[in-house]
Amino acid sequence: MGLVEAGKMPKSITKLLNISRKYSIWVYQWGLACCALEMGAAFGSPRYDVMRLGVIPFPASPRQADLVVISGTVTDKMVPAILRLYEQMPDPKYVISMGSCANCGGPYWDSYSVTKGVDQIIPVDVYVPGCPPRPEALLEGIVLLQEMIHNEDPAERWKGNDREPIVVGGGEIS
Amino acid sequence: MSTTETEVDEEAAVEPDVVREAVARAFADELGDAYIEHHIANGRDLWIRIDRSAWVAAATFAKTRLGMVWIDFVSAIDWLPSPFGRDMEAEQDWVVHGRDEAEAEVQQTGVAGGDTRFQMLLRLFSPDENMGVTIKADLPDDDLSIDSLMPVFPGTNWHEREVWEMFGIHINDHPDLRALYLPSGFEGNPLRKDYPLVARRVKPWPGIVDVEAMPEPDEPEDASGEAAAAGSDSAEASSDDESGQDKAAALAARLAALKEKRG
Repeated sequence: MGLVEAGKMPKSITKLLNISRKYSIWVYQWGLACCALEMGAAFGSPRYDVMRLGVIPFPASPRQADLVVISGTVTDKMVPAILRLYEQMPDPKYVISMGSCANCGGPYWDSYSVTKGVDQIIPVDVYVPGCPPRPEALLEGIVLLQEMIHNEDPAERWKGNDREPIVVGGGEIS
Repeated sequence: MSTTETEVDEEAAVEPDVVREAVARAFADELGDAYIEHHIANGRDLWIRIDRSAWVAAATFAKTRLGMVWIDFVSAIDWLPSPFGRDMEAEQDWVVHGRDEAEAEVQQTGVAGGDTRFQMLLRLFSPDENMGVTIKADLPDDDLSIDSLMPVFPGTNWHEREVWEMFGIHINDHPDLRALYLPSGFEGNPLRKDYPLVARRVKPWPGIVDVEAMPEPDEPEDASGEAAAAGSDSAEASSDDESGQDKAAALAARLAALKEKRG
């Protein structure tokens, strides 16, 4: 993969790689609160069926995962576990922050125990707003993430350049 | 034996709760001077206030003699009125809820009374009798400590750890007194009333930022024959909608005025 990192791959092969990555996302579920139920509905139920998008929600460990969905209230006590989870995931890795709590602390923004958004500790690629978001919103977040992967330049990414996060349904990050 | 009945409600006047009064009397006989007072909600519940020296003795007595073998919780309460009042509320919210200037700054305590800021609470329950009791004990401010109940109820271990970290009340003879919920390095006792909400100090609560008007009620001209036949019911409903809409409109106007005032 050295060629990919250096950006010396031909464009067409990069495209092919991107399409492969896009349709084989292994997603790790990090359910922390009520959003976990909506995530379960989106990932586990035949009604929403996330596997039709090429997303596989069954990695046995974070070391097999490409994507993690942080869904629910992140507390200060949970922070070390999330950091460890993120560091265990192999690059390229993506993070979806699902629900108001994971986005900014949500209704518990003034609590002594709640982290004011998971983006304070790890970089977030897609924000899914809602309290909790519908499963459809999470699926849209995944589709938008797939689009981002499709158009991604791996060299830029592996250089560690910041990329613009996506907000499902529009909206601004302040 | 004194009964705390500052207000005699109707239920109490109807029928005395002989069973709970007998239980309270049993506690009084057992604990002697350490027993302070009790309160009975007829047919529903019983509160007993004791001196903290009899804390373990009361639990032992309830468990061994009264069949109260099930421990519901051990907790504490801080009766101090918030020293922060409502000063962290947003200006917008005064418009909606009104501003309560005369905030009660008097320390109040619950049923069965209390003399101190902190009180310990112990809730025991008897599954056989389907009856519970809440035992309370005052803690003086200069010595916030109480004996551990673990010799009687081993299950109180985590409850007491929580009381210790949340209120800063020391549990005597607890074998494993360390933080249960709070992350290591956390400073302060967050369930004390004088513990500030730091997040609100850094970023004040913005209050309601957008108020939407109520949706337009259906025009009566559009209504079909069926709706017209419904008659007075629909007329009543529409008048309710209008009053709701008026309220929302008035609220929006006041918010707009407020925004203009602040520039």
